[in-house]
Amino acid sequence: MNVLIVEDEISLAKEIASFLKSENFLCDLAFTGNEASEKIAVNLYDFVLLDLGLPDYDGLDLIREACELGSEASFIVITARGAVEDKVKGLDLGADDYLAKPFALVELLSRINAVARRKFNIVSPDIVLGDFIMKAQARKLVCNEKEVDLTKKEYDLLHYLVLNRGKVLTRQQLYEHIWGNILDDQYDSNFIDVHIKNLRRKMNQHAPAPWLETVRGVGYRVSDE
Amino acid sequence: MIRLKTKLALFNLLSKLIFTALFLLFLPGIIERIYLRQVDKDLIQKREKTIALISEAGIEPFIESDSTGAFGSFNILKEEYISLEKTRGGEELNEIVICDRFIEDEIITYRAINYTFQVDGESYLLEIGKSLETITQGRKSIYRIILGFLVFIILLTLVTDLQYTRIILKPLEKIKSKLREISSPTKFDKTPVKTNTLDFAALDKAMIELMMKIEDSFRKEKEITVNISHELMTPISVMRSKLENILIQEEIGEETAMRIEESLKTLQRLQRLVNSLLMIARIESRQYLLEDTADMADLLTEITEELKPVATDKQVELRGHYLFNGCLRQVNRPLLFSMFYNVINNAVKNTGSGGSVSIRVEKISGALNVTVSDTGRGMTREQLDKLFSRFSSRRDNNGDGTGIGLAIAKSIADLHGITVSVSSIPGKGTDFSFTFPENS
Repeated sequence: MNVLIVEDEISLAKEIASFLKSENFLCDLAFTGNEASEKIAVNLYDFVLLDLGLPDYDGLDLIREACELGSEASFIVITARGAVEDKVKGLDLGADDYLAKPFALVELLSRINAVARRKFNIVSPDIVLGDFIMKAQARKLVCNEKEVDLTKKEYDLLHYLVLNRGKVLTRQQLYEHIWGNILDDQYDSNFIDVHIKNLRRKMNQHAPAPWLETVRGVGYRVSDE
Repeated sequence: MIRLKTKLALFNLLSKLIFTALFLLFLPGIIERIYLRQVDKDLIQKREKTIALISEAGIEPFIESDSTGAFGSFNILKEEYISLEKTRGGEELNEIVICDRFIEDEIITYRAINYTFQVDGESYLLEIGKSLETITQGRKSIYRIILGFLVFIILLTLVTDLQYTRIILKPLEKIKSKLREISSPTKFDKTPVKTNTLDFAALDKAMIELMMKIEDSFRKEKEITVNISHELMTPISVMRSKLENILIQEEIGEETAMRIEESLKTLQRLQRLVNSLLMIARIESRQYLLEDTADMADLLTEITEELKPVATDKQVELRGHYLFNGCLRQVNRPLLFSMFYNVINNAVKNTGSGGSVSIRVEKISGALNVTVSDTGRGMTREQLDKLFSRFSSRRDNNGDGTGIGLAIAKSIADLHGITVSVSSIPGKGTDFSFTFPENS
């Protein structure tokens, strides 16, 4: 998939590009609003990651322009302004999602994937995890035809780890994904540990789940195998 | 407290009553003087007339030639009398006196003029009198008329005063209602109040200018928070992405991965701190709108559900007693969520295994009250005093807290007009009590 990263902070743009490339995206960079405007007019992108804080351009104008050009790109707005109305305005103007700086790269990836699934109507396939099957469509975890009784938070946590299979996710990344920013000041790494503990206990009642690994000193991972 | 309108009316009434009382106090004297002067004038006129008659017709027709050599006459009701008698002379009299006269078995007090004059070498005394009873009566009736008139005038001016003050104070009422109705300076009605009173126009103008200044400073503050947010978050974002990218690489060893995660943790603490400070700034400059409605029990249930896994893990019992449920209007639900979450989460954190945290919702003297009580380690007086100031609370062991959570909770409470009070007994537990304003 083609992604245009519009970000005036060059080193951030490069980090995002390097991460997305490792996830098999084709990345293009624009460091100013004018550059972005030209690139959007000439090239076809599936996604535009748009920083609203551009010095030369109101980022929201870019979305408007793209809409007028009939571009099919999905916009994910990134902002450090944090003002609530930016979010509302951005989504009103046709942005597909919104991320506040600083964000986790895996979070960005999961947002892109979510938008892509919506856009192309992709039905989430069932995922096999050892003896368990994650039925993403029904939001259920099943073991030998029996449903594992998970709370919404536990399911979300597991689902996020599964979506990022093979990658270690830190507690902060998991916390941010599930609780968002409103409770930022209440972040407690213990929350994630407690939920993982409960998740393991519930799964172990059905079958062992060695694929959910603790990576010492870093976080948690659902292994590839 | 008395309203200005009432105060003015009361003052008017009082001042009128005092003036009237003073007037009435001196009135009898004044009337008497005026009346006596009139009577005296009258008496003098009558004397002149009599003297004129005498000089025209001679004294003989008046003086009877009997031994007394005197003439007397009074009208039938004895209101007036006239007497003329011969005197031995020597004394020259021209005076007005009050004297008693014995007429037909009755003593009557008269105001009388005594006047001596000479005709043909003989000395005569002329007395013309007017009974004082008629004077008193005349005075009384004048008194009554004036009194009645005064009462009428006072009542009339009272009514007109009330109406007039009501009309001239109308612009003030308008300014007052404008101020009462606003929830935020940005919502102040800036159309000037119609008035031709200079003071009200000045007040209104000052008010509008003040509101515009406040609005302006809010706007500036908002801009500043937006800029700070951008300036601080961008570098954090760059570092975070770099560290995360390194962490994904397979070839780094376990040791490096742990160090990177530690750096990420530190960076994240900085991020949370900046976010928290910005949040307080946004709350204080009223960038959050109070436009949600929230069901109290729903809100608290949502929070306790969220915290239950952690509480259960710590073997802390988390209970809700919703004795009363209220629907809150004109609030910011996410902020209220954050406020209660913060306090309940703190309570759970500070309570040891086997303890409990209970949340009570009740109505205390008309106001909705939420109390979060824990059986935790409690706080000392000094700790309580600094509880809501920034960076005061001790960071917990894993270093996650920013020490600013309760300061945020307090500013959210202030934004909503919620009164927060805390009581604590060291070693026994702490109570956080939130009292909502009655109108919410």
